[in-house]
Amino acid sequence: MQNRLKEPSGPLSPRLTIYRWHVGMLASIGHRASGLALILFVPIYLWLLRGMTGSEDNFAAVFNWLHSGLGKVSIWLVGISLIYHFCNGIRFIAIDAGWGESRESMRRSARVVFVFTVLVAVLLAVML
Amino acid sequence: MAEIIKLSVFRFDPEKDDKPFMQTYEVPLLKSGMKLLDALNYIKWEIDGTLTYRRSCGEGVCGSDGLNINGVNGLACITPIEGLKQPIHVRPLPSMHVIRDLVVDMDHFFDQYRQIKPWLQSESPMPEHERLQSPEDRERLDGSYECILCGCCTTSCPSWWWNGDRFLGPAALLQANRWIVDSRDEATGERLDQLEDAFRLYRCHQIMNCMEACPKELNPTAAIGHIRRKLLSRKS
Repeated sequence: MQNRLKEPSGPLSPRLTIYRWHVGMLASIGHRASGLALILFVPIYLWLLRGMTGSEDNFAAVFNWLHSGLGKVSIWLVGISLIYHFCNGIRFIAIDAGWGESRESMRRSARVVFVFTVLVAVLLAVML
Repeated sequence: MAEIIKLSVFRFDPEKDDKPFMQTYEVPLLKSGMKLLDALNYIKWEIDGTLTYRRSCGEGVCGSDGLNINGVNGLACITPIEGLKQPIHVRPLPSMHVIRDLVVDMDHFFDQYRQIKPWLQSESPMPEHERLQSPEDRERLDGSYECILCGCCTTSCPSWWWNGDRFLGPAALLQANRWIVDSRDEATGERLDQLEDAFRLYRCHQIMNCMEACPKELNPTAAIGHIRRKLLSRKS
């Protein structure tokens, strides 16, 4: 900009390492993280499907893995990501549309999404 | 024997220190309702005159003493000591170039404010008296005009931390919205043109740290949402 008189100098003050996490920040970062997990899951899922349909032995191997501890935890984590991303996505769309835009509503809707995700996570853990 | 308050304060002197460090101080609780600024003043006047910080009005109007207090941005002059976990960690506003101790370089912040042209732009000829506004139109400025440009919101925003060179940040965008909703302003189109950009406006990811940090309890996230809807309705 034409108004800048000097190049900034001096150390940058601390930011992410010291900032306290509010519920909104958790909800937003959680949205990015769950979205990333879901996108990465798609190729893994296709790869598993392809492996399953290769031969009977492959089917048995994938079947065993999916029903092992690690397999179940993976499915559980992807399930949580999906439900969280879905619910928080609706929350974001609502806020974009101007619903629930007050300071208190923004906090409350984030908490509702978290509580709902935890409930579904417990339910999913029981079902698996 | 007065109760003792423990503080841990960010220090950096460019002429002496290679890098910043935290220094602890102990200050007596001087009165009930004592504010953080009172404690900083006590340190400066009674313990260590080299501690450097900005302050002016002392009552949350001038916006000089925006600081990071126990991890959240706020104004030292209106933050009560009571209720703060001790030792109270006092740091400069995040992601800013430190000039000395708690004083940061605000040039870029005010430059971004200047970019949104924060003044009334009107083509219509000057009326004989003032430009009138109905009480309803005036009411639409509530929640925007109270901003004191302390920088607490903008420097709390992770999107601005990473992309502050291009993303205008919550304070400038709240102010942009203030002129967009002003019934007397006639440059809404140009204002929206300037904001319609993947970075300048759309880097906001609704993290909402801005509204949590705002000492005037305003809502920059909602203001940004309003600008987005304004842009959308212009298209359809």
